[in-house]
Amino acid sequence: MDKVNMEHMLAIEEPFLKVPLEQLKRSARQIQKLVEREMAAVSSELSEALKNQYRLAPEELQKTVDGLIERLQVLKRKLEDANQEEAQLIQRSKRRAIELQELKGFETTAHPLFQQWCRRRLDRVLVDYMLRNGNMRTAQMLVEESQLEHFADTSLFSLVMAIEAELKESHSCRGALEWCAENRSALRKIQSSLEFELRLQEFIEMARAHNRAGAIAYAKKHMVSWSDTQLPRIERAMTLLAFPPTTLCPPYRAMFDQARWQTLSDSFRTVIFQLYNLPAQPLLHLLLQTGLSALKTPACVSEEPSEHNRNCPVCQTETLGKLARDLPLSHHVNSNLVCRITGEKMDEDNPPMRLPNGYVYSQSALSDMAAKLDGKIKCQRTGQVFKLSEATKLFIS
Amino acid sequence: MQRNYQHELELARVAGRLSRTENVVMLGLISGESTTRVRQRLFRHLAGLPTAPADSSSSTANTLQMESLIRDCDKLAKHQASAFNKTLAPIEQALEQLQKIKQGSPSSQASLRQALSHVQKINGDSGGSSASAPALRELATNVSKYGKHVEKTFKHPLDSLGDGSSAQFFAQKHGEHVGRALIEHFVHSGQFGLAAAYAEESRVSKPGGEHETRFREMFAVAREIEEQRQVERAVEWAERQGGACEALEFELRRLRFLQLVEQAEPTRALEYARAWFPKFASSRMAEIEHLMGIFIYARRLGSSPYAALFDESRWRQGAEHYVACVCRQAGVPGASPVRVAVDAGATAIPVVCKVAGLMRDRRVEWSQQNELAVEVPLPADMRFHSVFACPVSKEQATEENPPMALPCGHVVCRASLEKLARGVRPGVVASGRFKCPYCPVMASLADARAVHF
Repeated sequence: MDKVNMEHMLAIEEPFLKVPLEQLKRSARQIQKLVEREMAAVSSELSEALKNQYRLAPEELQKTVDGLIERLQVLKRKLEDANQEEAQLIQRSKRRAIELQELKGFETTAHPLFQQWCRRRLDRVLVDYMLRNGNMRTAQMLVEESQLEHFADTSLFSLVMAIEAELKESHSCRGALEWCAENRSALRKIQSSLEFELRLQEFIEMARAHNRAGAIAYAKKHMVSWSDTQLPRIERAMTLLAFPPTTLCPPYRAMFDQARWQTLSDSFRTVIFQLYNLPAQPLLHLLLQTGLSALKTPACVSEEPSEHNRNCPVCQTETLGKLARDLPLSHHVNSNLVCRITGEKMDEDNPPMRLPNGYVYSQSALSDMAAKLDGKIKCQRTGQVFKLSEATKLFIS
Repeated sequence: MQRNYQHELELARVAGRLSRTENVVMLGLISGESTTRVRQRLFRHLAGLPTAPADSSSSTANTLQMESLIRDCDKLAKHQASAFNKTLAPIEQALEQLQKIKQGSPSSQASLRQALSHVQKINGDSGGSSASAPALRELATNVSKYGKHVEKTFKHPLDSLGDGSSAQFFAQKHGEHVGRALIEHFVHSGQFGLAAAYAEESRVSKPGGEHETRFREMFAVAREIEEQRQVERAVEWAERQGGACEALEFELRRLRFLQLVEQAEPTRALEYARAWFPKFASSRMAEIEHLMGIFIYARRLGSSPYAALFDESRWRQGAEHYVACVCRQAGVPGASPVRVAVDAGATAIPVVCKVAGLMRDRRVEWSQQNELAVEVPLPADMRFHSVFACPVSKEQATEENPPMALPCGHVVCRASLEKLARGVRPGVVASGRFKCPYCPVMASLADARAVHF
């Protein structure tokens, strides 16, 4: 029996635990900053009001108080939302750790509960794949059917989709810039220039609209701070103002190109995945690539259809077989023999038997056949008929 | 670390037993063994001693880690609730005071002062200017601590597989094929609604409906067996297959027979047996005789030798057997191919990851090779094709170098046999006869017979 190797099983689960963790980290830091900022402001306003209250007209005091109430209520609402979200994220982290912990209980890969666990893992992987491709409705359906609420990062991907759609379809950087502002320190840590690219795009749009003065003011306000690392590009951006949007001059034509929005959307995705520890490729692709490669044998790619096995994923010539075509073959230093009739493994307990024509089948398959055919056996591949006693046992070391 | 292993690999090459030794080193490396241990194993291997399997203690370490993560989450949950309470309560109190002023309380000064003191409570004792929210700050620190623990659990990042250009190529070229495979997977799992919804949303063309109709009917019948415990429709189907599903037919008939016995209807059970069991007399006599003995124990089945036959899982097993037979007869895979491939991938990823990391140093993409560098230890139910590796040369058999059986039954590849026949000792005229490498029987090249697995 094959044992379940916990460490190997965990190899693909890093994002599973890390996504809610990163969300939690972000939320905790953001809320802390927010409260610090708001409390400092509120308390200084309060002290001010206290100091001046005898000089203030009652209406003015009332106005200050109204303003403070408004401010505190907004803060309170935000805190309550964050409280709920964080509690949920912690719960989610715990549920995920419990899911991985369950692996400990499975002695062998044949354990029915382990099979169920693998089934759930596949569903998780599929939800991830659908969310990445923007198939939100199907993903939601699968989440509900398989009860994966705690295992799907729907909210994160909804955010990604919304911001990407804004970039690609409405050609607006608003959402993306907001997100950059919320994650500025994390972006700085990975030395991302995403924010600069977004600023540059807004600048380009102003140039496109012939709003030169606006563009210069914008550059002064938002782009100068990047001059340490991006100076040559800022210079080039300023030169853009000298060109009309219809220019054919290559670097400036490229800047005016609408395809830049797609590039921005792609780099946004790369950066946000990096921040949340999501692999750049969907897990499904990684698993299919490595899995198909590990399963692929010369027989799978044989021209001869009789070499194929209907149960083998690589032999599904219309779907997975196509994926496997360019992948490496599996490597073997040990023999692994499979009976063509029963599909069972041939080893000491069920030894391979050689018919006089050289074809080999398992002992169990041949004795079953002999029981039905009156001691005769028929070669599945050539149709020749032999007596069971003519088959000789092989030894594979 | 990698340089150390390079050294071991060199050693392996010198020893001239490349492929197998390379595998020993690689496997050790993959399971994260220390250099010393791999070296030990390697020496044992070169000396022909049995090599012990990789240490399994690391997996217990992992479960322990997971347990502590769960505990961390519990602590974090408590901490989070209290931190928010500590922050929210004073805000509410301050609001209350401000509301009082708004409603025209006479002592506005006292209210203002109190509101200020509540607000300052959140900021800790540091007072107005250098604001901080200690409860929330501490929470953020604890979250980071938990993050560090998570970090420690995962030693091998997935990145080495991830962002290669070939991976992107794979994504671009094969999106459509993956989509089709997923639709087939949903149909194969009986999730017909999902199959339709996914086809529509991802705009992947859905394969013909005939496939789906077959699966729909199959799942309906399987549910009849498992949930309603009715075998009629499945039995009819099995009978129509003309002997190809004899084992299934017998299993279903037996289920029905046992059901009648269980329902204390011995007469009907006996009638059923007389009607249907004779058909199986030639192949299953012993089993039928055993079944008929059940009438002796009809009143106390639970404590009889037959109790095991009434295991609760028998209906599910019957349904599974039926599904397997339908799939076999229809020539479709018994298990969803996507499911099998993904499970194989989960086994392969840690192995391939390690190798891919090493190869990347040499600027090679793992997926651009003709063959994987190491063997992936797949379980037996994921082996679909025979692969013969010559026990002498450790090379995989090919059409040019086929496996040959010696008269004693041992199998070796032809190239190795030819080498044996040429003889090894210089100066001695090769007789063409040699001893089988695995037993004392003598043979010659002419005695060897081709085998086709």
